Amino acid sequence: MVTLRIDGLDVRAEEWWTILETARFYGLEIPTFCYREGLSPWGGCRLCIVEIGEGTNSRMVTSCTYPVTEGLIVRTNSKRGIEARKVLVELLLASCPSSKTIQDLASRFGVQKVRFKVEDEPCVYCGLCVRICAEQMGAKAIGFVNRGGDLKITTPFDRKSEECLRCGACMYVCPACQLRCQGTEAPGVVCGSCLCPQPTCLDSYPDLMCYMGAAGDCGTCVTEKPEQAK
Amino acid sequence: MLSKVMMHRIVTPEHLEELREKLLRDRASKTTRISVCAGTGCNAAGSRGVGDALIEEIRTRGLDTSVELKETGCHGFCEQGPIVVIRPQAIFYRQVKPEDVTEIISETVLKGNIIERLLYVDPATNEKIVREPDIPFYKRQSRIVFGDNGEIDPAEVSDYITVNGYSALAQVLSHMSPHEVIAEIKRSGLRGRGGAGFPVGTKWGFCAKAKGEVKYVICNADEGDPGAYMDRSLLEGNPHRVLEGMIIGGYAIGASKGFIYVRDEYPLAVERCRLAIQRAREYGLLGDDILGRGFNFDVELAMGAGAFVCGEETALLASIEGQRGVPRQRPPFPAERGLWGRPTNINNVETWANVPVIVSRGADWYSETGTANSKGTKIFSLVGKINNTGLVEVPLGATLREIVFDIGGGIPRGRKFRAVQTGGPSGGCIPASLLDLPIDYESLQEAGSIMGSGGMIVMDEDTCMVDIARYYTAFLHDESCGKCLSCRKGIQRMDEILTDITEGRGKEGDIELLEELATVVKDTTLCGLGQTASNPVLASIRYFRDEYEEHIKRHYCRAGVCRTLAKSPCQNACPAGIDVPRYIWLIGQGRLDEALAVVREKVPFPAVLGYTCPHFCEAKCRRGQVDEPLAIRLLKRSAADNDNGLWRANSRVLPPSGKKVAVVGSGPAGLTAAYYLAKLGHEVTVFEASPVVGGMMRLGIPEYRLPREVLQREINEITRVGVEIRTSSEVRSLDDLSAQGYDAVFVGTGASRATDMGISGETGASVLHGVEFLMDVNLGRSVKVGKRVAVVGGGNVAMDAARTARRLGANEVTVIYRRTRAEMPASEEEVEEALREGVRILYLAAPVGITGVNGRLQVQCTWMKLGGIDASGRARPVPVEGSEFTEDFDTVIAAIGERPEVPDGYALSLGTGGGILVDPDTLATSREGVYAGGDAVTGPASVVEAIAAGRKAAVSIDRYLGGDGEIDEQLAPPEEERPVIVEEGERYRPPVDMLPLAKRFEGFAQAELGFDEARAVEEANRCLMCDLEES
Repeated sequence: MVTLRIDGLDVRAEEWWTILETARFYGLEIPTFCYREGLSPWGGCRLCIVEIGEGTNSRMVTSCTYPVTEGLIVRTNSKRGIEARKVLVELLLASCPSSKTIQDLASRFGVQKVRFKVEDEPCVYCGLCVRICAEQMGAKAIGFVNRGGDLKITTPFDRKSEECLRCGACMYVCPACQLRCQGTEAPGVVCGSCLCPQPTCLDSYPDLMCYMGAAGDCGTCVTEKPEQAK
Repeated sequence: MLSKVMMHRIVTPEHLEELREKLLRDRASKTTRISVCAGTGCNAAGSRGVGDALIEEIRTRGLDTSVELKETGCHGFCEQGPIVVIRPQAIFYRQVKPEDVTEIISETVLKGNIIERLLYVDPATNEKIVREPDIPFYKRQSRIVFGDNGEIDPAEVSDYITVNGYSALAQVLSHMSPHEVIAEIKRSGLRGRGGAGFPVGTKWGFCAKAKGEVKYVICNADEGDPGAYMDRSLLEGNPHRVLEGMIIGGYAIGASKGFIYVRDEYPLAVERCRLAIQRAREYGLLGDDILGRGFNFDVELAMGAGAFVCGEETALLASIEGQRGVPRQRPPFPAERGLWGRPTNINNVETWANVPVIVSRGADWYSETGTANSKGTKIFSLVGKINNTGLVEVPLGATLREIVFDIGGGIPRGRKFRAVQTGGPSGGCIPASLLDLPIDYESLQEAGSIMGSGGMIVMDEDTCMVDIARYYTAFLHDESCGKCLSCRKGIQRMDEILTDITEGRGKEGDIELLEELATVVKDTTLCGLGQTASNPVLASIRYFRDEYEEHIKRHYCRAGVCRTLAKSPCQNACPAGIDVPRYIWLIGQGRLDEALAVVREKVPFPAVLGYTCPHFCEAKCRRGQVDEPLAIRLLKRSAADNDNGLWRANSRVLPPSGKKVAVVGSGPAGLTAAYYLAKLGHEVTVFEASPVVGGMMRLGIPEYRLPREVLQREINEITRVGVEIRTSSEVRSLDDLSAQGYDAVFVGTGASRATDMGISGETGASVLHGVEFLMDVNLGRSVKVGKRVAVVGGGNVAMDAARTARRLGANEVTVIYRRTRAEMPASEEEVEEALREGVRILYLAAPVGITGVNGRLQVQCTWMKLGGIDASGRARPVPVEGSEFTEDFDTVIAAIGERPEVPDGYALSLGTGGGILVDPDTLATSREGVYAGGDAVTGPASVVEAIAAGRKAAVSIDRYLGGDGEIDEQLAPPEEERPVIVEEGERYRPPVDMLPLAKRFEGFAQAELGFDEARAVEEANRCLMCDLEES
């Protein structure tokens, strides 16, 4: 066991715990987005950042990946951290305003305006789908490809995957995917409400048995992906 | 020679020594050693051809036994490649071509004669330098890591052995415990050269202590900063040195395996490393039981695919493991859990290359170099706007000034230094005010940059600092691995905002948003790439915020780089914004009248400018980078001299507005404001204190440069639109003007108060002030100068005074100037003409006192030398102690500057230099309805700047009076599409007719006669039409 101080509280934690696990164990709330119990922590969304250390040596780390150490001093809700989280949520919202999860976060953080060019990206690269596919389904059918502006999540070489179990877990965990939130267009970027998504591929595939209920154009049930076709 | 030893493993340290002695003995039989630089830079310049020719020449002359040829790695002085050095004399030949080879062998090698044309010429002294160590570029470096590059063939391990190679390894394996090695490295103070500067010995210590049977060492050669190539050059030029460092590191840490992670787009480095590993294995320097001391160690190459992020150590580890190169959380640090979960120590190429010299020469020796916390040397790749492009190795703590100016030779083409970017895209720009900063890890960080791996990109006045920030941000956006939201989207958003600013879509608040976003990206991102990605943005805002504001508020890019804002460099450089490319093209078509109309769209004084403008446009002309800039001023003069009145057809005067405006001063600022205001329908009266109209155009500029009738013609155009000019009407108080019913006032009273020199004896009767002297002459007063005249100063007033004195009968005129010709503010052609008219110029001299002796003046002077760059971007003159000298003169004219003198009765707020304080955007003064511009605000400047101020004031005053401030007119026929003609080859200006010297001193006849029409057309057709270039 190690002893550390979170938000002024001296707490004891198992040495393999992360800051996030410790905080949650003691009932201290840290917001997360790309974190999910049962999946390995990724630390991509940066929303769970906390400030560690003191004075000029303090720095911000993601609590979901940072291991506890003896004597560590953690502030989960410092001014610096809260201000940074607001900008992070604004960045998420600007790229993917159609996500209900993100709109909810915006509402929670009081983000009421978006100062960046609004995009409509289908993915926020939180990696939940990649991890659930590999870690819970054992399929490893999808992964990150490329970097920078070309980053995407796809099957190897964009080909129909032999490994994919068609389980739909990827869509189940996705906070942003087109399927999850296809409501009418929000009045402005900051939405606040989202309508039920409409099934889209049922029209083209009358025999489809979709596990997702409100199925859509995820492509897992399509033999030739449209992109591949051209 | 090689084949004899090749299959012989070196089995003991003693054996290594024997081999070294044997190699040195073999070499002693060669009387001459020639090294040809075969680094990538010289290779690109054609060194392979030179090398082949040398081999052939040596063979055919049968010199194999006495001459040894080495094709070496990079020597560092890439600007001068291909480089050939002949030892033992160390004769340095540069820019050698295969054709030179025969002569090099027959003259230099065989006869010992120097081939003058291949020598390096020091641009500072024009001296030819024979020996490599005497060249300033090398002389000021301490090349303890990089020095061997120029002497050894990187493909031969035996070459490395002759320069004491592997002796540090032998020493470590024979006499030192791993613990002692780490202690020695710690004591040396060596810090990581990859950028972060972590103490190397401490890092090794962590890894050595970590639990685990299997450990690794890794050489990080994933050099990816734009403009940085020191690691590549080390690997290409001296791979064994890096290997030796790694083996020593492996021994210290307890690792038996090492990796060199090198990017695939460094093919030569990859090949050299592969060969070095192979040779080291053959020699028993890698593998089992190295040097018979029981230590096993081997190295493998791991190839990177060129992702910038893989330079980050945890991403690098993932990449070697075969994963996608994505950084992960530290802790755990690689020293505990690194490659495949084993304790791993990662150091950069240059760090490893430092290790052997620390071991062999000792930590004490090593730590003598450097600063308190940053020991040793650092290799920088000096690139960008710098004369001596290349790799330089200097002690840490050297100043940027030493690197950029002493070693780098300063900025090409006399441009002003702007900033230097250290640390590549992860660093920041460092401005001229910090040139004396001693470079170490901490000082750079405090300045908002980082050491980084050692890229140093020099930027001059033609670099747009916003565009540079945008460039780096775009680079990092492409290179972000995409894991962290803050980095992936944050950098993308910064890139978008910066792109908007550079393309004229910047908004109020953008700078603050950039700062906020940059801080979050820096604070919340996992790895070094993202944490430092904000540096280019934050540093450029910190030091060049005014440039951001210019882009956003005024849609102006002073460097002329942002193509949306700056149509062409010439127009961008013109204070009045004249559409230069368009009128030049019209002149080229022989349509001089239409060209004049284009000029007239922006200025009411085309002829005055054509005769006298200091032509900021020509300094930026793109043709100047090919051969010679266009003679834009003379072309404008041709258009103005051929005025057929076409432009008047579309010139409009609006109906009376019922408003009255007073303009104080009839100089270019006042008359321009008056002209445009009158055209807008206002009733304008100009009050001029002197009896003549034109301000400095009439009183300051001598008649031989601007004939009176040329000026008068343009003044007539101004009165023609209804401007009333009252001469000999001094305005003492602005209250009087409001009492007379004027609704607005423009103050353009100029700057004609001469500055004193501040030396003894300057108040004597024979000591005149430049501007007063010129005014007296221009007013036709009787002015007497003696036969011997001294003019102090280096501006246009000084040149005018000197040439006027010549015309008044002085036969010996001496200009005394405290800097050199390069720093002289006077126009180039004025200096040329002054020299042609027999004016003597003493550069680097300054008067310190004047004594009157029997009606003559004895001027005591001192010689000066140039010190560091001051805030104005020019070198500061410093007196050379004990260098005083005295010269006799009859008259001394002090022309060292003027300042504005605004009457107290105006009750205007003034700045420190005595100029009127105005809002830079509107030229409004502290009094309502009163505007000011020209020299009265800025201090002495040029006619074209005064015209620009007059235009700006006219816009503001019209708006103040209820108008829309629209002063631009379409005077020329609509713009036509111009076909682009690409001209190959060099072509220079046609000659300009000048008045013969003999006739010049008879009076004040015009000296420069201008182009005739045919020459004007010929000259205009040299325009490259770079404004049509697709960006």
